[in-house]
Amino acid sequence: MRVTAKAREATRNRILRVSRKLFSEKGLNDTTTRDIAQSAEIATGTLFNYFPNKESVAMTIIAERLDHGEDEFRRRRRTGESLDETLFAYVMAGIRALEPFRRFVGPVIETMMSPFSKASSSEACERVRVSHMETVGELLREQGEAGDPSFVAVHLYWTLYLGALSFWSNDESPNQEDTLVLLDQSLRLFVTSLTNNSARAEKNDDA
Amino acid sequence: MTLDVGELVAALPDDGRTESPSNAALQEMLSKLSHKPVPVGSLTRFWILGTMQAKIAAAYLAYWIRSSYATADEKQRQRNEAHLAAAVKLLGGMSYLRGAIMKVGQLLGAYPKVMPELFMETLSKLHFEAPPMHYALIREHMRNELGCDPEDVFDEFETRAFAAASLGQVHRARLRSGERVAVKVQYPNIAATIRSDFRNMKALLAPMRLTANWENLREQFDDMRQTLVRETDYESEAAFLRKARTCFEDGDQIVVPRVFDAYSTKRVLTMEYIDGVHLDDFLATHPPQSRRDHFGTLMMKATFRVCDRSRLWYSDPHPGNFLFCDDGRLGFIDFGCCREFNDDEWDYMRECTEAVYKGEDALEHAVVRAMDRQSVDQVDPGHMRCAIDVAHWVDDCLLHDGPFDFGSEEYIERGVALVTESVRKHYLRSMPLNNWLFRSFLGLRAILYRLRARVDMKHIGDTELRSVRE
Repeated sequence: MRVTAKAREATRNRILRVSRKLFSEKGLNDTTTRDIAQSAEIATGTLFNYFPNKESVAMTIIAERLDHGEDEFRRRRRTGESLDETLFAYVMAGIRALEPFRRFVGPVIETMMSPFSKASSSEACERVRVSHMETVGELLREQGEAGDPSFVAVHLYWTLYLGALSFWSNDESPNQEDTLVLLDQSLRLFVTSLTNNSARAEKNDDA
Repeated sequence: MTLDVGELVAALPDDGRTESPSNAALQEMLSKLSHKPVPVGSLTRFWILGTMQAKIAAAYLAYWIRSSYATADEKQRQRNEAHLAAAVKLLGGMSYLRGAIMKVGQLLGAYPKVMPELFMETLSKLHFEAPPMHYALIREHMRNELGCDPEDVFDEFETRAFAAASLGQVHRARLRSGERVAVKVQYPNIAATIRSDFRNMKALLAPMRLTANWENLREQFDDMRQTLVRETDYESEAAFLRKARTCFEDGDQIVVPRVFDAYSTKRVLTMEYIDGVHLDDFLATHPPQSRRDHFGTLMMKATFRVCDRSRLWYSDPHPGNFLFCDDGRLGFIDFGCCREFNDDEWDYMRECTEAVYKGEDALEHAVVRAMDRQSVDQVDPGHMRCAIDVAHWVDDCLLHDGPFDFGSEEYIERGVALVTESVRKHYLRSMPLNNWLFRSFLGLRAILYRLRARVDMKHIGDTELRSVRE
């Protein structure tokens, strides 16, 4: 029997819907692909036609939530913000969007997004990284940082970002307020290093 | 010598006494600090504490070496430079740390003559000039606390804070009902920072474990920790504000801000906005003596009234906590650092107050109790003499006929000499409560000294201490 694109889309959405619930309730580690398939009322083998593993399912959910976070960031944006403030607002919008899934964000970062992970090359993961860095590049350009950020700046930023996400997923302070401090100070550090580098480059050009 | 004081202060104003002291340097320092992370780890903070002290020591050492070769005028100039440099360094360290250490800085800054004048003026800036949080951080923090963005709760919310202190910063706002409010937002993580500071300070006290008064010192230290940690709970402050507010009526010209519970939590406190200026701005208007006396009288009246009627002790009378209004009212704000007397403490307060009016024997008995001893024999005679002198310094104004001159140099210097003697001779044994009482006595006198106020304390004692004296 031929599966139409519409039916395929419906199954994919069902997998994501039940996975959101399972991951939120049981966490990533205690949820199996069999659990997901059973809840979605499909064969376990069928699940692999859509996603290679449960981490990819989780990563897809995270990517969707981050898209939602980006929309919220643009909706709530204010004029006259400094670069570190804008970046803070952007990252926090993503964190807010991920809030219902805080329990499984940490393990996903470790297995899928970590710079040390061999498995960090899924399509959803790459999409998250590219989309996020495009927005960061846009924000930098808006604040007068000319050209694309350097390889070093990109790597530094991405490491800080993943570190903040990972910290937040395990943050036991009330309302995760320690994350606010960590993120604020991390981004100030990043912006300071960026600004110092730009100033140094300009000085060298003048010389 | 790696630190050159001259270079350090080259960017500062020529004369810190005539201009606002070290504003340029402060701005530069605060700007640099705003890019430093808040050190949460105990070890990091401990290390910074050490380097901060080392830097201050270096500044004074530089002064000492250079002054050996200087003329008299040059010597005075260098002394000012060293004081200022040390103050800026200290301020730098404290603003960065933001926790209990900053509270200590505020405390020191309130005592004239104990610290060099420029040092004191710079420290007093701590009441208002801590590095601010940007609005995106405020917004997220308030969202955590109130469940939505400030702009969804308030009709207007100023994104830039108009006042900052050690534990938070304050924004002007307007409620949907039209009332103007001041919204105090606590620094995220500050409670953990204070706990970390106290762990460090406890480690610094460790060598004193074998001394005779260790148990008493530990008790005082724990009491201080509990009081400062409670200061991080704005719900507790709201309760104190509500209680204090009931003590005053319109005719009193003393206003304690109303709390808006619907917009307040443990970390956000929304209060009625009081339109007034702080001490420095008030003094800058060169007010006549009558106006200085008027506000000095209100300050003393407010403190005594709250103690007498609510059994609350206002332990934090620094200049940032009083507002001078054009219409003559005094804003009595920030009840974070307040003590509620238990029955035993209240009884002690009554005994001390009674002793003021009864004379030397009663005073001696009160001092024995103040030192947590059972009899005079257990008290070191030198300590007893010093404590009685301090009691006279604090209380004699209550026996003085007519206005008492708190602007007297002789009076403030006598108090400073007594404090210095207590510290130098290690007269540290005391009931924990006394630290807060004395802090308040000193803090108020420091403000009244700067105000050059004359206050009829005998009349205030007769009218505002009725319950205590009954």
